[in-house]
Amino acid sequence: MPGMAVQGYLVLSVVLFVIGLAGVLVRRSPLVMLMSIELMWGAAGLLFLTFARLWAGMEGHIFSFLIIVVGAAEAAIGLALIVLIFRTRDAADVDDVRALRG
Amino acid sequence: MENGYWVLALIPGLPLVGAAANAAFRRRWGKPALAGTASAMVAMAFVATLASLVRYLGLESHDALSLTLWSWGVPGVGLGLLGDAVSLWFALVVTGVGLLIHIYAAAYMSDDPDYGRFFAELNYFIFAMSLLVLADGFLGMLVGWANVGLASYLLIGFWNERPAAAAASRKAFWVNTVGEVGLILAMAILWNQFGSLRFADVLPQAGLAQPEILNWVALLLLVGAVAKSAQLPLHVWLPDAMQGPTPVSALIHAATMVTAGVYLAVRAFPIFEAAPWGLTAVAAVGAASALFGAIVAVGQNDIKRVLAFSTMSQVGYMILGAGVGAYSAALFHFMTHAFFKAALFLGAGIVIHHFHGEQDIRRMGGLGKQLPFAYWTFLLGTLALIGLPPLSGFFSKDEIVVELLVTGHTGLWAVAVAAAALTAFYMTRLFCLVFTGDAPAKPGAKHRGQKGTTGHAAGGHDSGHGVPALESVPVLILTVLSVGAGVLWIPGITAVPEHFLGRVIEQYAGAGHAAAMDTGLAKTVTVAALMGVALLAMALAVRLYGPARQGAGPQPRWQSVLTNGLYLDDLYRAVIVRPLLASAAYVGGVIDPHVVDGAVNGVARLAGTLAVGVRRLQAGYVRRYALILMGGTALIVLYFVML
Repeated sequence: MPGMAVQGYLVLSVVLFVIGLAGVLVRRSPLVMLMSIELMWGAAGLLFLTFARLWAGMEGHIFSFLIIVVGAAEAAIGLALIVLIFRTRDAADVDDVRALRG
Repeated sequence: MENGYWVLALIPGLPLVGAAANAAFRRRWGKPALAGTASAMVAMAFVATLASLVRYLGLESHDALSLTLWSWGVPGVGLGLLGDAVSLWFALVVTGVGLLIHIYAAAYMSDDPDYGRFFAELNYFIFAMSLLVLADGFLGMLVGWANVGLASYLLIGFWNERPAAAAASRKAFWVNTVGEVGLILAMAILWNQFGSLRFADVLPQAGLAQPEILNWVALLLLVGAVAKSAQLPLHVWLPDAMQGPTPVSALIHAATMVTAGVYLAVRAFPIFEAAPWGLTAVAAVGAASALFGAIVAVGQNDIKRVLAFSTMSQVGYMILGAGVGAYSAALFHFMTHAFFKAALFLGAGIVIHHFHGEQDIRRMGGLGKQLPFAYWTFLLGTLALIGLPPLSGFFSKDEIVVELLVTGHTGLWAVAVAAAALTAFYMTRLFCLVFTGDAPAKPGAKHRGQKGTTGHAAGGHDSGHGVPALESVPVLILTVLSVGAGVLWIPGITAVPEHFLGRVIEQYAGAGHAAAMDTGLAKTVTVAALMGVALLAMALAVRLYGPARQGAGPQPRWQSVLTNGLYLDDLYRAVIVRPLLASAAYVGGVIDPHVVDGAVNGVARLAGTLAVGVRRLQAGYVRRYALILMGGTALIVLYFVML
């Protein structure tokens, strides 16, 4: 689809990514951090789809599916970890979970 | 060249089998089975040597028997056996005298708990020595050379619970290692020059190499010969080696192994002749050792140490002979010396047993009445060693000394005659002190309670019971040989060694040696000189030490100097051993803990210090990791974008 207006998609993707990144870096609740990571996944997927449409290739589509699958798996593992951390430590703040410090 | 004569392989092979059998069954078999196996193997090796000899005599003059055992696929390097006049001559003595000494040892060692180990090591020695003399190249000879060194080490230290024996065996091994290094370096040069290590390739073209290079080869080979044959200046291990059992001293440190240097000097004579300094160096070492051994033997008080220095002196004669081109005479003296020195050592063993382990000749005496057998055999051995006609030592020693005069080496001739006079003196002194005069008040009473500490089977023979047949028969045979072997080379009548050994020696002999003096005149002068000084020295020794000798006073100072071998041992201890030990202590006490450990510990401390700094990065804050990750990614993106 040559001549397509891609700027809007790109801007949206960047905005989504930056929001996710800021969320991971700023927020201390593990649940919110997980959601922010999902936001970055979405931004990356959107970028793939944009360029797939732009160059009429199939690779981007395949990668966006891959991103959805990996994102889902990551969310499942992340949620399971968060549940376990809550059970053992009763901590709502990731800065309190630092048993692995050197 | 007749290849594939497999009987040759039996000569070293059978004793090796015997050694393995004795080692494997030393606890299960009885003593007769152990000694019987060992002796039978050597006997068969002797028969194989005789068979090879017969076969060899049937060949064309310059032919030889040979057998390839192993090849690495590289031409010139391999393990093979060579049966020519020189090697069979040695093999005959090694297996023949070896057999007699095996039989003697069967009785002599009968009270030793390690009977099987003894015969395993003795058989192993016969294997190694026959490999040494039968090898067809320098490589095989080196294999045998190193193996006889190990056998010698094992047998000197046979009574390894005695610290003196253990120290003596280590000393012998170290000194011999010096010689082996010399041999290996010589072989490296030979390989570089000739591209082969086989005698048949190297020796015929020895003269083609550059003289300076041949000088190095000859000197390095001489280092090997000097170490193994206990010549100056590497003789110090031989007197100490007398810590081994007496049959070992007889076989290894008198009759066979110490003559390996003579074998090397004769075998490699084309190299020595082609090297400008080769023969001169050989002759100088031989003459110095002949004189030194004879001088020091005068001051020895241990019966075996007298014989040890005598061996050094007599091997010096052989080396001296090889150094003036009298190869046949040197090898003839090797054979007669093997007979009478083995007879003397075995006789000394009987004497030591009689006195219950006592070895100091000043505490002996009067044995002639108690042991007439030992008296007569020892007397004949002594006279043969002194070189009185018509005993064998006369003909062989005479042949060497005459050759010195014929080739114009007047100085060396004088040294040889002086050494012969000293030989007559110290042997007569030894004989008189042991066999004449009064018996000591209580023979061996001092040692009776020390059987365990001396390690000797001292209780084996009680005084007056005579000598067991297994001991007396070998001594008798050796005595007969030392009396009669001279008939092989009676000047003008027979010349068996010269004809037989000449098959090999004349093969390469180049110029021939210019005769500086008429042979007949040289013979007359030499015989007159030798007989004159020998009889004078004997008379003097009988007067000083004979039956009418004075009671033993304190030892005079000049004699202590001789007893200690002119303090050469102490010199080596001060110049070589002490600095080595001190530097080892320095390395162990200073360099190792501070330099080596310091480097290791320093690296560890550095890593620890760095880690203390780096560990701060790993704070455990997930969000900080994320920030670092993001920052890193941003830097990478920036890098690609900017470039």
